[in-house]
Amino acid sequence: MSSIDLTLKIWRQPNSDSLGSLETYTLNGVNTDMSFLEMLDVLNENLTKEGKDPVAFDHDCREGICGMCGAVVNGVAHGPEKEVTLCQLHMRHFSTGDVLVIEPFRSRAYPIKKDLLVDRSALDRIIQSGGYVSVNTGGTPDGNSLPISSQQAELAMDAAACIGCGACVASCPNGAAMLFTSAKISQLALLPQGQVERKQRALAMVAQMDKEGFGNCTNAKECEAVCPKGISIRNIARLNREYVKAVLSEG
Amino acid sequence: MWFVRFISSSIGKKIVMATTGLLLVLFLFTHAAGNATIFMSSEVFQDYANELHSHPLIVLVFSFSLLLIFLAHIVAGLYLFFENREESKSRYVVTTRVVENSFASRTMPYTGLFILLFLLVHIMGFTFSPEDVLISVTVKELLGNFFYSFFYIAAFIALFIHLSHGFWSMLQTFGVNHPRYNVFISRLTILIPLFFLLIFGGVALYFMTGLGANY
Ligand code: HEM
Ligand code: FES
Repeated sequence: MSSIDLTLKIWRQPNSDSLGSLETYTLNGVNTDMSFLEMLDVLNENLTKEGKDPVAFDHDCREGICGMCGAVVNGVAHGPEKEVTLCQLHMRHFSTGDVLVIEPFRSRAYPIKKDLLVDRSALDRIIQSGGYVSVNTGGTPDGNSLPISSQQAELAMDAAACIGCGACVASCPNGAAMLFTSAKISQLALLPQGQVERKQRALAMVAQMDKEGFGNCTNAKECEAVCPKGISIRNIARLNREYVKAVLSEG
Repeated sequence: MWFVRFISSSIGKKIVMATTGLLLVLFLFTHAAGNATIFMSSEVFQDYANELHSHPLIVLVFSFSLLLIFLAHIVAGLYLFFENREESKSRYVVTTRVVENSFASRTMPYTGLFILLFLLVHIMGFTFSPEDVLISVTVKELLGNFFYSFFYIAAFIALFIHLSHGFWSMLQTFGVNHPRYNVFISRLTILIPLFFLLIFGGVALYFMTGLGANY
């Protein structure tokens, strides 16, 4: 078991209304088998013992599937490893003497609640505006009554891999939520169940996205590069098509 | 109205950028073809210019359409730039770009504005050149000046950079992104800007280096 010594510069901000700043902490003897969040747990334990306020950060499953965790580590959302969430990033990727600047996911649409904890409910409101299918109650339909080609199912599944962590927004130079919205639109537009509300959905979700104050996509591709689930910007191209088709024939 | 809602939406603005960008690229192809006659001889070029200007109505309609397209492209581009800057300024203490070769995408508004500066100089020099001097003579005189040609070549390099993101970006905005064609698209995204650089830059270089002294 090896361990490393780190210098952490963490964004501390007591609440949404106050100004924040970076605080420096030294953390020695970090077990390299720990995840990034476990490393923060150790720091918080130390802070608590010293009678100081622990660093607030979001997390839940700690196995890379819930989308709750996330911070910007040295300028990269979810840290330097490709296709992992912060909870699945392990300290073996760092070495003694590293200085880690840890900041919250930032966007005009993400108010900071405390330290690394941000309010991402803007993403929820995009889903609420149309990211669902309406199913009337009744008998359960037979599973095989809706044939779906395996290629189509795979594409829909790739889009559905989005865990909604919002790293795409945090890494986008413009703070755009296009990758998130495009994944949520694609997973339904690609399947027969999603057809009935297809156009309405595209119009409503894009309108909500704009209303929340997310930026404009300029195809910088940073979102795709940091996405812990490897969601492709091919979904954004699909979203553009969906939106144009809907706007030309509906509303 | 649906159209107003469309062009004021985030995707609508991108579609305006992409559509006007495509029209500008198409215009550049015709412009490059016309200018390439310079490499044949001053007579061929002068004939081409005379032929073009013997149809004043076509020139007028084309010029005005082009002006509108440029204005739409510039206004939408600057609007996006200022709206997005609102978002990106003073965001992180440390910012790291993960994408390699992001220079062109990061500098779109700046390469664009440099092209605009070029356009103003270009139009002052050629469109509003003295009526009594043949255009083939004006071209040689202006581009024979080292600094004038140098500025032209710098602007064509800016255009190259602008399009080396812009062409791909335009297709992505139109929704064209398919694994089967993406390699082809990325080649075109270098080849088309390179073509413009060679033709337009070639004309400037031709006079700058004195190769065109006897043209
Ligand atoms: C006159 C000055 C110009 C300005 C100020 C300008 C500015 C811009 C800006 C700000 C963008 C958006 C970049 C982004 O979305 O990241 C853009 C995109 C683009 N520009 Fe220009 N540009 C100019 C001239 C041109 C010219 C002469 C051409 C073509 C020959 C051109 C072709 C394009 C294309 C194809 C795009 C991509 C559209 C897209 O992203 O969907 N631009 N321009
Ligand atoms: S805590 Fe669930 S994805 Fe990281």
